[in-house]
Amino acid sequence: MCAPQELVNVAAVSRRFPLDAIALDNPHQHKNSNFVSALNNANLRVNAGEFLAIAGPSGSGKSTLLNLIGCIDKPTEGHIVVGGVDTSELTPKAMTTLRREKIGFVFQTFNLIPVFTAAENVEFPLLIRGVGSRERRMRVAEALDSVGLSARANQRPDLLSGGERQRVAVARAIVHRPTLVLADEPTANLDTNNATQLIDLMQDLNVRLGLTFIFSTHDARLLDHTPRIVRLTDGQVISDTHAVGVCHG
Amino acid sequence: MGKFLLLAFRNVFRNRRRTIMTLLMVGGGVTGLLLVGGFFAYMYSGTREGAINNGLGHIQIFTAEHFARDEVRVLDTGIQNWRQVAAAVKTGRHIRGVAPRIDFNGMLSNGVKSSIFMGSAVDPVEEKSLGFVTHISAGKNLADKPSGEIEALVGAGVAESMNVKPGDGLTLLAVTSDGALNGIDVQVAGIVNTGIKEYDDHYVRIDLSSAQRLLQSDRITNLVVGLDATENTDRAYGELAPRLHGQTQKLVLRKWIDLATWYKQVRSLFNTIYIFIGIIVFFMVLMSSVNTMLMTMFERTREIGTMLAMGTPRMWIITLFMLEALLLALLGAAVGLAAGNLLGILINAVDVRLPPPPGSTEAMSFHVFHVPIIMIGSSLLVIVSLMLASILPAIRASRMQIAEALAHV
Repeated sequence: MCAPQELVNVAAVSRRFPLDAIALDNPHQHKNSNFVSALNNANLRVNAGEFLAIAGPSGSGKSTLLNLIGCIDKPTEGHIVVGGVDTSELTPKAMTTLRREKIGFVFQTFNLIPVFTAAENVEFPLLIRGVGSRERRMRVAEALDSVGLSARANQRPDLLSGGERQRVAVARAIVHRPTLVLADEPTANLDTNNATQLIDLMQDLNVRLGLTFIFSTHDARLLDHTPRIVRLTDGQVISDTHAVGVCHG
Repeated sequence: MGKFLLLAFRNVFRNRRRTIMTLLMVGGGVTGLLLVGGFFAYMYSGTREGAINNGLGHIQIFTAEHFARDEVRVLDTGIQNWRQVAAAVKTGRHIRGVAPRIDFNGMLSNGVKSSIFMGSAVDPVEEKSLGFVTHISAGKNLADKPSGEIEALVGAGVAESMNVKPGDGLTLLAVTSDGALNGIDVQVAGIVNTGIKEYDDHYVRIDLSSAQRLLQSDRITNLVVGLDATENTDRAYGELAPRLHGQTQKLVLRKWIDLATWYKQVRSLFNTIYIFIGIIVFFMVLMSSVNTMLMTMFERTREIGTMLAMGTPRMWIITLFMLEALLLALLGAAVGLAAGNLLGILINAVDVRLPPPPGSTEAMSFHVFHVPIIMIGSSLLVIVSLMLASILPAIRASRMQIAEALAHV
């Protein structure tokens, strides 16, 4: 039935950080070495339209993996291909362009620009892509509508609840119609109810808009309805579980 | 770009207390420069017009010899046919009057003691036509037409030293153009106060014809030309020069600025002081703004990281910081201009008096001129200062490691 198209290919990726950049008591520190390993020979393939959770305890390498897929960081070893482009070969400028054009981000702490309204925050990715004002207005309205926040469009983030802020962040992540949305612990600052609603919202957008979602979490309760779960421990993929017959997008 | 400007504008007011402190610093700098510059401009103007109206005039005419050599005999470098020259000059545009002058020196005596004097002989009628102000503290000015007694104005210091008052007599002794010693008795008509103590201690003024009798010469030292406005000096100078061709003596023109050595020295000194103040203000604004901008950058680390993660070009981040600095500078300059001009108006209305400056006997007004070029200059100074201050934080912000910035607490 489905003809999966590979969107992300993480091939034998390792990421090591110099010792002075992280805490000295880090458990992943290699003995007699001056670096610690956040990811160690990780492999992962993600098809377009998938809804995938990366699960694992704190320090397992979830954020590092998302940063690498999102072209925020570069692997020490291995290759990451996003949409057919080997990102480990890209210049910083090309990585910036790739992020701007192809990827949407949702952060744990919402990271909305506090002096902008919800609508202006959602508009920002379009602004940096040089989209015309009329189209910006239209797409912002659509994005806010898709997360159910049209009525709160002119509110600043400090007047929104945690759940609403994260929905604005989701609208901001999808407004420029990226091929991939990365959400790093998007529910960590939300209560269970809001967290469940947010995952449902992302899943709904995945189904309706065909967007590929990869999100990280350490909350086991959110994984019940997730069709694919990749588990990380100590920087290594220890399991990759697919729910049978699920194919979104 | 409009949204970016909006973002910059809103960010400026994000931390109100810090913005207000920066605006106070920037605005204070502009206000200070405006008040000091305005006061200096007032002082320059006062000194310039004082020098011109106290007898310097706008243009003076001398023989070329006057500057080529020292006098061998009294007035032997003076102007001979000065009435003819004065008549030729008087018809020029912007000319308010032309007055002959003789500068001479000698001894004066009250019968009990004697002292040296610096004499100036004038034609009282022509002198009045120039509109020059003679500050007479007692008695009266020289009469237009001498009658009987030769009248003299003496400086306040001379009057005190010689113990004379209006109506008292003095004897002036001077060397004539033939090299003989000659003397005349004068009656003190009034006591003058030029405001310059060294001058008042030796100053004596008599009418021109009496001086010519004393010196046994029909020559004068120079002709002083008064104009309708100081601003017309260059124009009048250009028009007068051709009129002096064809005279029996070679004559030269000198503008007031060429003769006002004291004015030039004062101006040069105060300009240097002003530049020094400007440099201090520049660095004060620069250092405090660097600090403010760096604090802003650290506070917004995660926000900048988010923008970079979303694919904002690093140049945009630099532009954003520079825009914020520019807005802050423009606001600060506007605050400073408003405060400086308002304070200037208040100070002028109150008419604050300052103690007499060194070498002067008169109190001075603390008056502030509103000078557009100073307003523009001081505004540009703080704008440049703030823009420079924003470069380092802007570059540091644009070079942030995104992953680290996103993890910033």
